[in-house]
Amino acid sequence: MEENLNMTAERSLEIITEQIAQSRRAVSKTTGQSLFVSGLCTMGMAVIIAITNFILINHASGGLGHLLWLVLPVIIWLFMRKYNKEREHTPVSLVGSMVAKTWSTFAWFVIGYFIIALIWGFVSMRMLQPEEYVATRIEVTPVIVLLMGMAITITGHILKQRWLIIFGIVAGLGCFVWEHFNMGATTVMLLSGQPHPSLSFAAIASTLPCLTIFIFAFVGLMLPGLMLKKQRV
Amino acid sequence: MFPTLDPLLHSELRLAVMSLLISTEEAEFPYIKEQTGATAGNLSVQVDKLSAAGYIEVEKTFKGKKPCTICRITPTGQKAFEAYIQALKAYLNITK
Repeated sequence: MEENLNMTAERSLEIITEQIAQSRRAVSKTTGQSLFVSGLCTMGMAVIIAITNFILINHASGGLGHLLWLVLPVIIWLFMRKYNKEREHTPVSLVGSMVAKTWSTFAWFVIGYFIIALIWGFVSMRMLQPEEYVATRIEVTPVIVLLMGMAITITGHILKQRWLIIFGIVAGLGCFVWEHFNMGATTVMLLSGQPHPSLSFAAIASTLPCLTIFIFAFVGLMLPGLMLKKQRV
Repeated sequence: MFPTLDPLLHSELRLAVMSLLISTEEAEFPYIKEQTGATAGNLSVQVDKLSAAGYIEVEKTFKGKKPCTICRITPTGQKAFEAYIQALKAYLNITK
């Protein structure tokens, strides 16, 4: 780009639009990497927790593996810190800071909700009757996938990526319905042909939320992240 | 009667630098060079002109052991850019 003082108004407008669009694309690529890494880590963690729960169910402590989700933000942060050290500096733009704020808000809500559900679970298990405990239990997975779907959709709006908006809505609402109506557990029960839950059924059922999160992380995080990364800057 | 376009901003490279900085909090010199496709020498001259006019501020610092130049837009620069856009709208006959 050279010095040209005889620009037309159209050319000026073109330069402004071009630079702002270029800045948006640079931020999209960085966001893509964050989504990709978050997706991979979440998928890996879902597998580890599913195996942990499957093993622990025989020791009457199934579901304890879900505590490992609390480590996930730390793992993602460590990976992103390593990546940020290696790459060239991308300036903090208005678009980038809006995306970052969306995801930090999501993280605070999810961590808070998870801790509240955990505390209430421990308290209600000791204080309430089994029927009351089941009726008042706070379901974690459906709300988390719904919040995650919302964060992806908002990111799509900020980055003006229509398919990211669609991914967020489909993954968020689809996985919410699947989890809220316990469709995974019902399917397993129907396939096993047993009217009453057995220990092996309970073992499989304890891993189902992890399967939902795994699918969600693939559709809602890893795939859109990969697509944003591959976009030409 | 059309308003006058700020001559300092009415240059391809300076306008590109200002457009880049208007949407970012701050940007490093190599990033601006890469995004604008300008040579280091030419960019340095234009950055100095914008800095002398008070449109941007230039901070020379270190990133580890390497020298690092950070540019950020000033409130004066923001006002000048907004005025430039308003003038441009008049030329293009944009009412909104």
